Amino acid sequence: MNVALLYLLLLKATSTSFSGLTSLPVLRHDLVEHHRVLTDRQLNAAVAAGRTAPGPNGLYVVSVGYFVAGVPGACAGCMAAMTPAFAILVLLRYLGRRAERPGVKSAIQSVTLAAAGLVINATIPLARDAITGPYPLALAVASFLFLAFTRFATVWIIVGAALAGLAGSFAGFL
Amino acid sequence: MAPTSLRRLSLIYLRVSSLTFGGGDPTMAALQAELVTRHGWLSREKYGLVYGLARITPGTNILAFCAGTAWELRGWPGAILAVLGATLPSAAAVVLLTVGYEMLKHDARAMAAIAGTLAAAVGLMAVSAWQLVRPDLRPARILRALVLVAGSLSLSYAFRISPVWILGTAALIGFFWRTAPE
Repeated sequence: MNVALLYLLLLKATSTSFSGLTSLPVLRHDLVEHHRVLTDRQLNAAVAAGRTAPGPNGLYVVSVGYFVAGVPGACAGCMAAMTPAFAILVLLRYLGRRAERPGVKSAIQSVTLAAAGLVINATIPLARDAITGPYPLALAVASFLFLAFTRFATVWIIVGAALAGLAGSFAGFL
Repeated sequence: MAPTSLRRLSLIYLRVSSLTFGGGDPTMAALQAELVTRHGWLSREKYGLVYGLARITPGTNILAFCAGTAWELRGWPGAILAVLGATLPSAAAVVLLTVGYEMLKHDARAMAAIAGTLAAAVGLMAVSAWQLVRPDLRPARILRALVLVAGSLSLSYAFRISPVWILGTAALIGFFWRTAPE
């Protein structure tokens, strides 16, 4: 795929999302379903890479770009992640405190809730790919519980899941 | 509130974002400690304003936050260097992890470990959805939350409506359907 088109598709996904993984549904729609240049498995690996690395989770688009077009693709992903950030300067200059107006605030809350529905929808195919039996299911539930209800850093949950995967393969669960 | 040197400011963004794991919230907390509490370069009010606007800026909130705080301190050059500093080291780490995945995809033991991380990623995504919904799980707001979450899930799952349309519609609904303040 042409790197400029890839950048524009990634930018469409990042600039229509409002937090970490909410760009994922748009991205999956374009790259997995429409253009077919990415698989669900690669998308899942990209999410894991983005969460394992330090810094913003939204940088999983760098990994997506790499899967689609190698290092130039990764650069396109990096640019797509950075570009929308500068929109805040326009907001800071012209919008000021209007963000606190009830209508605007309520619209933002609603977009966030709709995004949650989209994240659930995007999780379904990823889960179909990754949850191949009771053992991976237990790992997924355990990582949910650790992340939602404890203060463990994400990186330790990912490292723990990798070790549990390895242990599971020695024990014959995977 | 004396503005600091560009170099010193960029190094703070670089260091904080390459050493904090787990997404934007821990990074913003670490930057708050540096810029507001430790050095006093940014007032609490300015920090609050940038934080709020970063939430409504499209894209990765933390990058918008870095751009906004550094712009307040050192203008455009500061904003650009802060975003680069916060992005490039982490992007390099993401590429290395992805390359590792590509190289190891024919090794059975490595794939078992990766299968573990992929299963965990499903759990992480579920947490992401949960954290987006959780603040709205209160009596005054739960009905709108249910309508929006279920509506967007069913429109995207059953009818494959483009997410951009769903999010735009949700913004319109939210603008007119306001819930009682907390």
